[in-house]
Amino acid sequence: MAEPILKVKNLSVELDGEWVLEDLSFDLREKEILIVLGPNGAGKSVLLRTLLGLHPFKGEIKWGKNTHIAYVPEEFTVSKTLPLSVKEFFELKKAKSLEISRSLEWVGMKISPKFLKKRIGVLSSGQLRRTLIAWALVDKPDVILLDEPMVGIDIHGRRTIYDSLVNLWQNKNQTIILISHELGEVCKKADKILALNKRKLFYGKPKEVITSQNLAKIYGFSISL
Amino acid sequence: MDFQFLYSLIVGVFVGGVAGYLGSLMITKRMALVGDALGHVALPGVALALIYGFNVSWGALPALALGILLIWFFEIRTKLPMEALTGIVFTTSVAIAFLFLPEADVSTALIGDISRIGFWDTLSSVILSVIIFLILRKIFSGLILINLSEKLAAVEHIKIKKYNLIYLVCIAVVVALGIKITGSLLMGALVITPAAAARNFSRNLFQYSYGALLVGIISCVFGILISKIFGFSAGPLTILMATLIFLISLIFRK
Repeated sequence: MAEPILKVKNLSVELDGEWVLEDLSFDLREKEILIVLGPNGAGKSVLLRTLLGLHPFKGEIKWGKNTHIAYVPEEFTVSKTLPLSVKEFFELKKAKSLEISRSLEWVGMKISPKFLKKRIGVLSSGQLRRTLIAWALVDKPDVILLDEPMVGIDIHGRRTIYDSLVNLWQNKNQTIILISHELGEVCKKADKILALNKRKLFYGKPKEVITSQNLAKIYGFSISL
Repeated sequence: MDFQFLYSLIVGVFVGGVAGYLGSLMITKRMALVGDALGHVALPGVALALIYGFNVSWGALPALALGILLIWFFEIRTKLPMEALTGIVFTTSVAIAFLFLPEADVSTALIGDISRIGFWDTLSSVILSVIIFLILRKIFSGLILINLSEKLAAVEHIKIKKYNLIYLVCIAVVVALGIKITGSLLMGALVITPAAAARNFSRNLFQYSYGALLVGIISCVFGILISKIFGFSAGPLTILMATLIFLISLIFRK
């Protein structure tokens, strides 16, 4: 079996004098989808940011050599008045026209010259989030980290983002780490589930770990899929 | 041929252009008033330059360097908002400058005097403007990304602290150069107004940043020309020219 693209061992993170993550261990292989579950304030976002090198930590985080990581943060707002077109937003990453349209296609967006000329500040929240996912994908990352991509998006927008994600893992075999509250289809598709609340609650294949007992550990009451 | 007039026009083109371009970044980063504040931070250096008869830009630079280092240091130490710290440093600078600024030089220090600029000052202003423009163009994308999301920028391996420091140094140099034309009091407008005008009629970043550059140039050139014809001071005229363009831009606001 190939070496994991990411190996995390005994990871602990302390922020402002408080331990927000304790003793986490897991790994991720190429083309795998890892979903991180947990209640609010469980440290899920901190985990992603730590993996990205944005927080100091104890323990071990080992990315494969030359792993190119992309990130879609939970919060991303743009001032409506900022004259930054969609095309220019991609050009911040030095992306060429072909690459831009290709990655927008990956997230299932129709590309028109008019869309590319739009200010990104005037996009709907769903469009902006999908554009951001496309932006993360444009330089072909080995792995993409998504922090609750559907939070704060209206129902229609959620559907389109959900479709984008399905598109990604069906057609592109993209390695993904995804924080999501969405259970159901999203979880069934994953290769691994990591549930945490500061510490690891459970970790493994969805079929094995998604049990009503385990879900009760996260949400405090029993849910079935 | 009036060489001094020609020199002042050349300085206007280059300094006005780079100031406008820089302003497009400063408005985006919500630092529009920093130019204004730094104009005041430079005052003690300007005062010294006027007393000892050397180029006010050279006097302004060390004062600005010291001021910015202090603001930067305070920010790291206190995590207070930068504008609060800038406020402390700039008012202190004005207070210090007025302890020894001769009365005869007050007007030059506050609203500038480009009419007596010499060859070497012109040459150094042009070279510095071009260097700063090239640096800004290089870090422009990175700064915009930092502005959109520091996390995204960090993931893209942009060294945020380094970028911000380079950016601050660029602001300092542009302020030092601009003070020659508009003086301490009006310097802020030379970076804000052209960019604000450009923002009103631009659809994208390219139009915005280069539009600001263009408005900066036009304001300086016309300000200096009108000053030559009517004998008013060039600094205030330059700023009024920029304001006029800003007012016209309101019609085109998208």
